[in-house]
Amino acid sequence: MTGAAPLVRFSQVRKSYGAIEAVRGIDLDIGRGEFVAIMGPSGCGKTTTLRMLAGLEIPTAGTITIDGRVTNRLPAHERDTPLVWQSLALFPFLDVAQNVEFGLKMRDVPRAERQARVALWLERLGLEGFEHRPIDQLSGGQKQRVALARSLITEPEMLLLDEPLSALDAHLVVRMQGVLTRLQKELGITFVYVTHSQSEAFAMSDRVVIMGHGEIVQIGRPREIFRAPRNRFVAEFVGHNNILSGTVTQGEIDVDGVRLPLAGVSDGPAEIVVAADRMEIYGSPPSSPALKAAFVSEEFAGAGVICHFEGPGDLELRAQVPEARLAELSPEPGKPFWLAWAADSPHVLTHREGRT
Amino acid sequence: MARIPSIYPHVWRVPLLIWQGLFFVGPLILMVAMSFWLVRNYRMEPDFVLANWERMLTRDYFWSAYQVTFLRASLAAALASLFAFPASYALAFKVSATARRWAIFFLIVPFFTSYLVRVYAWQVLLAESGPVNAVIGFAGMGPFTMLNSGFGAMVGYLTLVMPLVVILQTFSLAAIDRNLIEAAWNLGASPRRTLVRVIVPAARVGLILGAVFAFILSFGDFVSPFYLGGSKPPTLSILIIDTTKSGQQWPRAAVVAVMMILTLFTVAFAAVGAAYRRKA
Repeated sequence: MTGAAPLVRFSQVRKSYGAIEAVRGIDLDIGRGEFVAIMGPSGCGKTTTLRMLAGLEIPTAGTITIDGRVTNRLPAHERDTPLVWQSLALFPFLDVAQNVEFGLKMRDVPRAERQARVALWLERLGLEGFEHRPIDQLSGGQKQRVALARSLITEPEMLLLDEPLSALDAHLVVRMQGVLTRLQKELGITFVYVTHSQSEAFAMSDRVVIMGHGEIVQIGRPREIFRAPRNRFVAEFVGHNNILSGTVTQGEIDVDGVRLPLAGVSDGPAEIVVAADRMEIYGSPPSSPALKAAFVSEEFAGAGVICHFEGPGDLELRAQVPEARLAELSPEPGKPFWLAWAADSPHVLTHREGRT
Repeated sequence: MARIPSIYPHVWRVPLLIWQGLFFVGPLILMVAMSFWLVRNYRMEPDFVLANWERMLTRDYFWSAYQVTFLRASLAAALASLFAFPASYALAFKVSATARRWAIFFLIVPFFTSYLVRVYAWQVLLAESGPVNAVIGFAGMGPFTMLNSGFGAMVGYLTLVMPLVVILQTFSLAAIDRNLIEAAWNLGASPRRTLVRVIVPAARVGLILGAVFAFILSFGDFVSPFYLGGSKPPTLSILIIDTTKSGQQWPRAAVVAVMMILTLFTVAFAAVGAAYRRKA
């Protein structure tokens, strides 16, 4: 977003199905060449938003502008907004080349040019030699790449993706993430990526849009969303966060009788978020104040291990530690630990000044 | 322990095999054999002579009946598929699931009554003094002769096959993954091109099976050509009746029947092959 006119603008867009409001008045600008992830729990309206952009749903109210043109009612086949379906929706009665060629055929591109572009796109996605393969003889990753080639062959200005990786094996997901980010950078086009997976959204996108109950809750860079969630909904959805409430007095927050550091916040009740990787774990009571919590379980998370604890008043706490450190701590269920953080680690969710 | 379950699934095939053996393969073999028998003094004698085959296959009336039957059955299959498609399309895509269930039910209802009864009803409706001509008469035209003609026979064939063709087409269209249709729009296909490029190919199996059933039922039918078509020109089924009536020529009728069965096998085999063929 460099101040230039956005490629897409949603303004006060609503969509209802009878009494059910799927999307309740969203405003969103998407820039050219941007990788935007729309993330939220199921039923939050993210897929409906994407489908409205593709012309597969007509907004009930508001306007959707693409390239400065209001496109609310432009039929899907008159837009150039290819979508990659969760099910991929490859045509089973056509082979690989015929699937990829489909969009060009519908635009009456001459045969010779179609063949040249199909060859180019199959090569780009590492599908040379698969031209005449039937779709049901491809692996999951190959199907995925056919779907991408089929959508990108018309060289659109934007590509829409609806949870395209959710059916893949974990190791393929990471590989396809690489393919997608590389393609997006190379082509310089806009990607709008709908997902419920935080790791996919954070790994690939420039900006993340968090939706909940048909509304946009927060828009920001992945880092902002993770470190500074706007409210409890985002903080809970993003995961690996600790949400604590207490009363602030003189640069400290009182959580269940333990006074922990909280810099730069005036006195009053507050709700704070501390990311799991900012939590310190101690095997014995440290000299500074810390929350005493019983170990519950551990969860391997690649870069480290997420440990789950139960703190005072059934408070759920999480801390991320490197694997080597975990061995030192030798946790067992029920074993007590002490958790604390640096004064500048917490992010304040809500805060009311004064009144105690 | 391992042996008992290996026999078990085969047990269930036995009744079907017995049934097929008794009522399909047995009579079929008998009929083929009979086509080589001899008729002497209005009585059949088991024999092995080629006279019946030679007699039937060298007669023009056999081949013209064959041609009429084949063309009529093909036309019935084509017309039924064509007329059924808009209805099937509407049932598959334009109405609610409840409406579709009711429609399927009402498409089954015609099978409750004898086909013969429905054909008799057409005799009344299509008569020169019948209600259809009365309506046409209001428009200042007619009366038209609709009975005892190829048209009459075709009305009968369609009466027989249309409900089944609509049901088969509806099921195959309704089973299409909706995402495929949306994907076609999304890739720039207009609704008309989506129909031709995606919906018809995706429903191909059901569409071909519908046409094959229409062909098979019309090809073997004798009620429509007899009661509505006036037996002229004769179809193969009418030829069989005529042949058996005249001088107990069962072996010659068997030749006609064997030729019909060979034709149906060929058509069904080719059609099923086409339905499940992979595009190269």
